[in-house]
Amino acid sequence: MPPDATGAGKGAFDVVLIGGGHNGLAAAITLARKGRSVCVLERADRPGGMARSSEPAAGAHVPEIAHLLYNLDARVARELGLGLLLKSPPIPAVSLAPDGRHVVIAGDAARFADGTPHPDAPAFGELNARLRRFAGLLGRLSLKSPPRFDGGLASLATMGEMAALARLGLDLKRLGKHEMREFLRILLGNAHDLVLDEMADGPLAGAICADAVRGNHVGPRSPGTVFNLMYRLGSGGAVRLPEGGMGAVCGAFEQAARAAGAEIRTGCDVVRILVENDAAKGVALRDGTTIRAGAVLSSAGPLQTMTLAGIGHFDVEAVRRARNLRCKGTVAKLNLVLGAAPEITGLRGDLAAGRLLVAPSAVAVERAFNPVKYGELPAEPVIEAVIPTLTEPSLATNGRHILSANVQHIAHTPRGGWGDAARNRITATVLSQLERHMPGLKGLVEAAELLTPADIEARFGAPGGHWHHAEMGIDQILTLRPANGLAHYRLAVHGLYLCGASAHPGGDVTGLPGRNSARQLLKDRIL
Amino acid sequence: MPQATRKSHVPVGAIPTPLHARLEALSTARRWTNWAGFVSPLVLDTAEFEYFAIRNQSTLFDISPMHKYRITGPDALAVVNRLVTRDAGRMRDGRVGYALWCDEEGMVIDDGTLFRFSDTDFRLCCQEPMLGWLQETAWGFDADIRDESHEIAGLALQGPTSYSLLSDAGLAAAAALGPFDMAEIEPGLVISRTGFTGDLGYELWTAWDSVADLWDRLWAAGAHCGLRAIGSQALDICRIEAGFIAAGVDFQPAHAAVRLHRGRSPIELGFEKLVDFGKGHFNGRRALLPQRGTGGRHHLARIDIAGFKPAGGALIYHRKKKEVGHVTSGVWSPTTKRNIALAEFRAPYGRTVTDNLWVEIYVNQEGQWDRRIVPLTVVSEPFFRNARSRATPPGPF
Amino acid sequence: MSRHDRYDAIIAGAGHNGLTAACYLARAGLRVLVVEKNDWVGGAAVSRSLHEGWTYSNCSYVCSLLRREIVRDLELPRFGLQVIPYEGGASFTRDGDYFAYFSDHDALRREMARHSPADADAYARFSQTVMRQCRFIRPFLLRNAPDPASLRPRDMGELLFLIRKAHGLGRRELAETLRFWTLSIGDFLDEHFQSDLIKAHLAGSGIIGTGLGVYSPGTAYVLLHHYMGDVDGTIGAWGFARGGMGAISNALAASFQEAGGTIVTGSGIDRFLVSDGRVTGVALENGDSYAAPVVASNMDVKRTFLKHTDRKHLPEDFIRAVERFKIRGSSGKLNIALDALPDIPAAPRGAPFLRGDMHCSTSLAELERAYDDWKEGRWSAEPYFDMLIPSQIDPTMAPKGKHMMTVFVQYAPYDLEMNGVRSADNWNDDTRKAFADSVFDKIAQAMPDIRDRVVHAEIRSPWDIENEVGLTEGNIFQGELTFDQLLFNRPVPGYAQYRTPIAGLYLAGSSAHPGGGVMAAPGANAAREILRGLGKAGRMPDHAA
Repeated sequence: MPPDATGAGKGAFDVVLIGGGHNGLAAAITLARKGRSVCVLERADRPGGMARSSEPAAGAHVPEIAHLLYNLDARVARELGLGLLLKSPPIPAVSLAPDGRHVVIAGDAARFADGTPHPDAPAFGELNARLRRFAGLLGRLSLKSPPRFDGGLASLATMGEMAALARLGLDLKRLGKHEMREFLRILLGNAHDLVLDEMADGPLAGAICADAVRGNHVGPRSPGTVFNLMYRLGSGGAVRLPEGGMGAVCGAFEQAARAAGAEIRTGCDVVRILVENDAAKGVALRDGTTIRAGAVLSSAGPLQTMTLAGIGHFDVEAVRRARNLRCKGTVAKLNLVLGAAPEITGLRGDLAAGRLLVAPSAVAVERAFNPVKYGELPAEPVIEAVIPTLTEPSLATNGRHILSANVQHIAHTPRGGWGDAARNRITATVLSQLERHMPGLKGLVEAAELLTPADIEARFGAPGGHWHHAEMGIDQILTLRPANGLAHYRLAVHGLYLCGASAHPGGDVTGLPGRNSARQLLKDRIL
Repeated sequence: MPQATRKSHVPVGAIPTPLHARLEALSTARRWTNWAGFVSPLVLDTAEFEYFAIRNQSTLFDISPMHKYRITGPDALAVVNRLVTRDAGRMRDGRVGYALWCDEEGMVIDDGTLFRFSDTDFRLCCQEPMLGWLQETAWGFDADIRDESHEIAGLALQGPTSYSLLSDAGLAAAAALGPFDMAEIEPGLVISRTGFTGDLGYELWTAWDSVADLWDRLWAAGAHCGLRAIGSQALDICRIEAGFIAAGVDFQPAHAAVRLHRGRSPIELGFEKLVDFGKGHFNGRRALLPQRGTGGRHHLARIDIAGFKPAGGALIYHRKKKEVGHVTSGVWSPTTKRNIALAEFRAPYGRTVTDNLWVEIYVNQEGQWDRRIVPLTVVSEPFFRNARSRATPPGPF
Repeated sequence: MSRHDRYDAIIAGAGHNGLTAACYLARAGLRVLVVEKNDWVGGAAVSRSLHEGWTYSNCSYVCSLLRREIVRDLELPRFGLQVIPYEGGASFTRDGDYFAYFSDHDALRREMARHSPADADAYARFSQTVMRQCRFIRPFLLRNAPDPASLRPRDMGELLFLIRKAHGLGRRELAETLRFWTLSIGDFLDEHFQSDLIKAHLAGSGIIGTGLGVYSPGTAYVLLHHYMGDVDGTIGAWGFARGGMGAISNALAASFQEAGGTIVTGSGIDRFLVSDGRVTGVALENGDSYAAPVVASNMDVKRTFLKHTDRKHLPEDFIRAVERFKIRGSSGKLNIALDALPDIPAAPRGAPFLRGDMHCSTSLAELERAYDDWKEGRWSAEPYFDMLIPSQIDPTMAPKGKHMMTVFVQYAPYDLEMNGVRSADNWNDDTRKAFADSVFDKIAQAMPDIRDRVVHAEIRSPWDIENEVGLTEGNIFQGELTFDQLLFNRPVPGYAQYRTPIAGLYLAGSSAHPGGGVMAAPGANAAREILRGLGKAGRMPDHAA
């Protein structure tokens, strides 16, 4: 332990980080590389957070939550020393059709699984390319603190932060009038209309809509879902199964952090953030130890972090906003260990290793969203499944396979609670949905693990069990993320920062909130 | 279909307080106003004589419409200190303190009196409804908020003979109360030596349905002391003389203003002494820090205006040219024989720039309008001050 | 052929916006003709006598948004317009209780506290936010929406006006404004209130006229759209036009005619005449045609360009954009003649809130489910409705002792689903009756004897509204009020300033900024744009805020 290595802070470390998920690790890497002494405290027995893998049956490694890598910005990956993660080739998406005419989507191209052209392929290609172009522009905003409007438009600080916005404005102008207008029209629109304006409803439209709602408490008709779609495409939209599985992703983050000199302590449950004279000075752990530091970065949600520091250190309005954070988790995870690879009707082997979507139409995706609004369970949920063992057989021993499924629009706590009946119902529903395309699947299941949003909240501390810690709604992005007055990572108390997914730019395994938060801390020169 | 007991709907408009029957019997002027949803006398008989009774005898004013909240529980002190800008930890049990509380921008939400029964039991009396705000302030703390507005009634007994009257009414134990002290003098009757007049006076707090008996008891003992019931108009002259500010008049409660930037900080209102930056975090603290010692964008000051015409609402100019503020409350003070007012200035006027300031007053004399530009003086002390108001034990006067 | 076959300007459609534009142009000295397909004027702001002795405001039914600047400019009170504010409203529960909205501040506080003590305080915070947002947005209503893609001085000027206004808000309020504009009314209400009934009562304004649910982002803005009106400066107040909503149209028509304008009714537009990319006049269905260098269409953007303009005059992009414009109908209407006031067992007789808007929705979830039905092409099993009995205040609406009731019903689809087929053709007498039955069933929650009181009822589906008034799909706003169709996006990016790809052809209806409601702002703004195009901008009264 290098106590006070730089002599900058008074504590044992310059910075203590709460939470060893990918964002906490990204922040640690950024700070450690700048010579700051950093200690990452993880409650679980290993770091990685929602990017971890687990072993529900001996010898079978499943991605606990996140099962695919997308949205990791290449520049950031290089900066953090994680470039290797982007080496594996992107995988296609396969939208499973009830009639067996599955649609394969790879980049801007769409075709039927049997190789025949899809009638809406040109429209899809044009739409996807446009969205990628727009997303690329927006992506630039994700590399910096969100713009703010302090101190009048003329102040220097504001000018600096407004520069990114101005740059976006210029880039928009450069697109030409027509494209700029199109950008401003669709930016806040809904995916359902955007897609159905261009193509017939069906598995292709369904797949786009499923991607537009994934992880969030919205249906494709909800305004703002086009933004979600663009957010997904922010780094080009390529989806990867990293070599070595998702476990390798958090492994890479962890290694990079250690290599940079950060200390990672697991099994450390932070129960309090120490605040003295309106400044964060370290943390106290459940076992009674305190660790002092010059600054505290928290990857917990804003309300959780405020509670750790003591609610009384925050203005009533700030607490109100944190309490009102929209964070209804809506995705359950079903991890299956299978005795053998399932057959997928109408799909060649290499495509079966793709991202399998059960989203037969835009209308079906919207319909699947309805029940969660009332705390009910869907009869036909939208599913995103992968069978990573088809690419990486070593993830499971004895020729077994694993199937990892994200089940969209499952209530955090359904009416009546999560009893065995409700849990079994969800598992059975998902299996039946998949069985339609994978005959005999049910017979292959050797072990099944269901993580409901309530489980995700309990296990990973994610507010509301929400993947992104806070809904990626247009009322909760940029300057409003996680809430008005709480953006810019600084959480009111001097030296206390948010570095998790609830901070700008938001969720997914991007490492960006952590990295940006660390950079903000360095910029603020409080160490 | 449930065959309807037709529900009678909630009462519309102002409703009576428990003292209404008594007030109505005394009202010859029949001038009432709506105070927080209750019928409250503006003038009972004659504002002028009611005023002189406050300064010369004893007066009774029904303050039952005030909002009253009880904050109790292990974290009550923490909640109160999170709420108000002063340090309630430094108040002794049995003390009452004037307090202001702010939003996150440091703008005053309301002011009022804070009663400390113990560090786990406080009462807050104020003008604006505050239940929602108090509940939010207490969120995450082990404290209970109770709206006592309709459970506890209040009577303001003010004037130089007010102690004599209490004594005659069998409440001589109040003698021990110094300014801003309070005590439960009899079971169910709390008396605080507080008021809105700057003179000797008490506020009596008792259950909603026993306040009428209390009124009768004081009234029966009051003749000798010249007791008179009053309306709010006479009281308003006294509160300006005492230099007290009124919500909605001298400042706009931050939660009630629709227009932006209408809020004022406690420092801007002249209460920097009541902002304790050292006590730990309180609401609005970080926003107020930059104003510490230097003041804000505005400055509320007491002013003395030349001439005899009350200057309510008048604009104030520097060098007779530049508009720098306006009068928020202005009145001719019959006791001090001065033309007094509270005025809001844009900084630095009224704070560091205090000379060459002028008030523009429009006077209507029997149908003819006259515009006068008269000089003003910024005054640091309250206009009305009297030794008897602080004497403990109080004299008979 | 008419004697006056040449005019300075022709307005296609005598809705309130068309008449407003016509008034301004006539008062600026132009020779103006208004052509109207129906035998009466008013579009959706009409008073019609469909059952002897009763007057129905059979489309729009309450007034608030009508800009007072316009009322004053066009001297509408001199032509008989009188707007009387109404006194409150109520939402009735199934078990005999209600939440009443009182105009009296104290009573409202007490009533809210009766349902939830904290909600009474929360309402103050709620109104503060809403009023602040109203104050922010109102100055933009009578201005052009700037085109952010343009560098023209005017657009830059409008953009600067917007930036100045936004900057004036300050950091926190600006962020709050951005948030408010993107929030759902359901989330907004959940942040403030605890009582389901209070939330349901206040939520209605967030969805009226839209194809959105209470939890759809953007519906908080829709609430604003309904609140930003006023009656004599009281922001958010609503009123009845004496004599029904037709009083507005009739006053506009009278003001127009006094200014020398001509109105021809009974024959609709067949097509807009275009030559060399310029409009030259209109041809009517009855074979008449009129010439003018300026034509303004009060019809919605889809009708104007997809039905009545030869596509060859329009760029392909523009046609696509118009086709994409969302104008889904979501509401129906019942206009009912009553032989007496229905009994409302829950409420005290003569309660003031019965003279306002009445509802029977009791929770946000119930409202959201009503929306889910509509998405599937069905009318809501538990509909939201906005129900008023204006004859209690306006004696001209019904015979003595009798009453007229107007019930705005949401949701009802334009393309009705029957046996797996979604089509407007599924609206017929049977489905209309079934639709009305579902509404009566719910009204009976509050008014058990309602069916016995009915003397006559007019049932209007979205299809009926389209057919009579000409609003595509029966959408009351001539286009949904979603982000992608507001401000510079309304109706089509690049054409948000009342102009169209055809020189001299303008849009003057609610498809244009700032959108629907009986506001008349699009009409007035279009007139300003037309006069500017003619170099006569100085003849338009100045509304600069």
